[in-house]
Amino acid sequence: MSRPRALENVRVVDFSWVRAGPWATRWLGALGAEIIKIEWPETEHGRLPSTTTPQGLEVNLNTSGNFADTNVNKKSLSLNVRSAKGLEVVKRLIAISDIVIENFSSRVLQKRGLGYRELCKIKPDIVYVSMSGYGHTGRHHHYTTFGPVAQAASELTYLSGLPDKPPAGWGWSYMDDTGGMYCVMCALTGLYHRNMTGRGQHIDLSQMVASVPLNGPALLDFTVNGRGSRRAGYPPGNRAHWPGTPLVNNYRGPTVAPHNAYRTHPGEYNDWCVIVCHSDEEWQRLVQVMGAPSWTGSERFATIAGRLQHQEELDECIEAWSMTLGKYDLTERCQAAGVRALPVQSAEDRVEHDPQLRHRQMYLAMPHPALGRHKVQNAPFKLSETPAWNHLPAPLIGQHTREIVEDLLGYSHEELRAGFGDGTFWPTNRARLPYMEDMLQ
Amino acid sequence: VTEAETLSVPFAGPLAGLRILELADEKGQFCGKLFGDLGADVIKIEPPGGERNRHVGPFLDDIPHPERSLSFWYYNTSKRGITLNLQTSDGRRLFARLAATSDVILETLRPGFLASLGLDYASLRERNPQLVMCALTSFGQTGPWRVYAAADLLHLAAGGEMASCGYDEADVPNAPPIAPGGGNAWHTGCHYAYIAIMAALVHRTAAGQGQYIDASTHEACAPTESAIANYIYRGEVLRRQTGRHHAAGPTPRTQFRAKDGLYVCALVGGRLNPKFVKDLADLLDSYGMAGDLRDPKYRDPAVVAANTSHIIDDLVADFIASLPAEEVYHAAQQRGFTWGAVRAPEALLDDAHLHDRSFWKQVEHPELGRSFIYPGEAAIYNGSPWRISRRAPLIGEHNTEIFCDGLGLSRGELCVLAENRVI
Repeated sequence: MSRPRALENVRVVDFSWVRAGPWATRWLGALGAEIIKIEWPETEHGRLPSTTTPQGLEVNLNTSGNFADTNVNKKSLSLNVRSAKGLEVVKRLIAISDIVIENFSSRVLQKRGLGYRELCKIKPDIVYVSMSGYGHTGRHHHYTTFGPVAQAASELTYLSGLPDKPPAGWGWSYMDDTGGMYCVMCALTGLYHRNMTGRGQHIDLSQMVASVPLNGPALLDFTVNGRGSRRAGYPPGNRAHWPGTPLVNNYRGPTVAPHNAYRTHPGEYNDWCVIVCHSDEEWQRLVQVMGAPSWTGSERFATIAGRLQHQEELDECIEAWSMTLGKYDLTERCQAAGVRALPVQSAEDRVEHDPQLRHRQMYLAMPHPALGRHKVQNAPFKLSETPAWNHLPAPLIGQHTREIVEDLLGYSHEELRAGFGDGTFWPTNRARLPYMEDMLQ
Repeated sequence: VTEAETLSVPFAGPLAGLRILELADEKGQFCGKLFGDLGADVIKIEPPGGERNRHVGPFLDDIPHPERSLSFWYYNTSKRGITLNLQTSDGRRLFARLAATSDVILETLRPGFLASLGLDYASLRERNPQLVMCALTSFGQTGPWRVYAAADLLHLAAGGEMASCGYDEADVPNAPPIAPGGGNAWHTGCHYAYIAIMAALVHRTAAGQGQYIDASTHEACAPTESAIANYIYRGEVLRRQTGRHHAAGPTPRTQFRAKDGLYVCALVGGRLNPKFVKDLADLLDSYGMAGDLRDPKYRDPAVVAANTSHIIDDLVADFIASLPAEEVYHAAQQRGFTWGAVRAPEALLDDAHLHDRSFWKQVEHPELGRSFIYPGEAAIYNGSPWRISRRAPLIGEHNTEIFCDGLGLSRGELCVLAENRVI
């Protein structure tokens, strides 16, 4: 059964690559927009290099697992935008599209004759979202980023770790994911505004700048109270407060203990559970779950102040207990008693063992022409009337070139063949892939 | 002000004319701010006496008070505030009247709570078929964990963030997984909820009908990491490393201590080739620290590869150790290196690029006779600006405006409601 989709009849021209932009258009596609991904094998970043090609498959433009998960719900047009003919094709496409998204370095598109003013001449109400590292405005617009650099320069890296140790930072490009989320937010907000007013606009998103508002309380502590984050006991690891340092809120909510990660049975790499007690009442419930061992009766642990002060000992005692249980068993026992506890989950845990994500159908398998059948991540929200769902596997490079050029843009089959011959739709010095031969028949 | 009038204002935000009712705690307050700063009229509904996040520090001048929570201030800009006790029949009726003239309801109450009060989506949409209602809860409305209790730390554990973040064994032996900075589970839930609501609103502009959205913080956190593809396609479980990406096996370090004790994130490993070495030699040479990098032997990619450790652990590390982190950052970026200083929040106030983007905003707190600097926008909307229209509301600050001027209650009726703890 086909249900209506939220972005029915919305077309997006997607120049983006690597992670941040493709992560955005993946969701616009799941919501029903037609995503046309402009690619060129000579300048491609995202399919290669690949560290996620399944063992036993050749690493090539069509076998990256990460690309496959990041690019569902899109069509691929291979096109040399730097050629005059390619530019004409892309302009014809923009003229019948609603949104243009790109994550090149600042001003690359402008240099190619596709700046916002040019876009407006082609499609006056176009919604154009640019998402470069530092944005198109500001003296460092030409600086380049990659998630970890944006996270460093914007303070996100600094705010995680143990006191007196180097920053632990983020183990992946959070700002590629979150930059992508902001790109979707900008595109939808711009589209809504266009639908209400008839006016498009250029939205200038910066990966580095978008990180900064994610630290509001820490920034206000400085701008209002003059308290910087370079201070004893900060950041306090997984705790709300580091014992023996001045009592200051550390921007994760109420200052309480226990508030930490504890090892669980059998003590392997990802056998950890986090436990947080927000009140005396919650602490007393945890005491009961632990079987009320004698140490819990100590005066030192009877009050919030005492538990904060004696956190080292408290955490050691809790861990002696947590080591006796598996992380899912511990979670169930705690939650059944109203104690805040959840397991640290690896990717394998979430895909295979998390009963909630399974119930919510977060990972459903779909076939891919080069990779076979694999689970793909679904939208983390459920719209009652226009559900978001993955309906197309990630495209092979240039897979939809004929469909787009002939059916959508109205070029003749001869023009398609000529374009393959003159290097518009595929480099002349590169062997055509089998499905390209098919589309030229 | 009617919707048409608001939209005719040339510098209204992109969401001008949209009214949102927010019944949100820490799970959803940031989502309300995202809407409010983009021009929507967000009405925050708090229980009489105020929402409990008013008790989260830090506080203005370290004096705890429900009107002095900087956390509450930050997450509740550009909203109007009213108080309403939904456990009373008067409160429910007033809520239903507000819902009848609103575009969106954003609620973070436990699953089934609003329905138990007769305020479920089916009932509310009878009077307002265009209504979009989003429940943003920890785990969603269905499933075995739907009633579980959570916290920011818990979501970062179960969502997969912590499994990817931590330390090299050499830096911190036996280190636990480390949670990223506070609030990011809530932020992530709010980003996806915002997207879902906007998608429903865009759909409404064509279809004319609202819909219900079941969103959850746990599901939002689960894809906000990048270990999934390694597991699904290769069966790999990734290891945590200090200040850089998780990986199936060890990768060269990217975080270096500078002269001032701060750190620099410098991407070198994985990029080393003769061209990169030449550029690196130019950078290091500008400070007289190129070492042997000008040696012609580095024209051979094999020699470059064989000297990876020498280049990273000796030359780059020594270079960065000789300079302040900010100087390395700008010198490297000016030469095209994708490097960055690891900055503490306070350093951002001096960032010239942010100033060029007019990023920092002065926000008036008239009751204090002061104004404070707040962080600004992720993106510049060139045709319909983002702005903080007001500081976070005081408790019940807009009760008169909304109940009397908006719904037509008399001052006498308002007093009765207050006396009976309805507002």
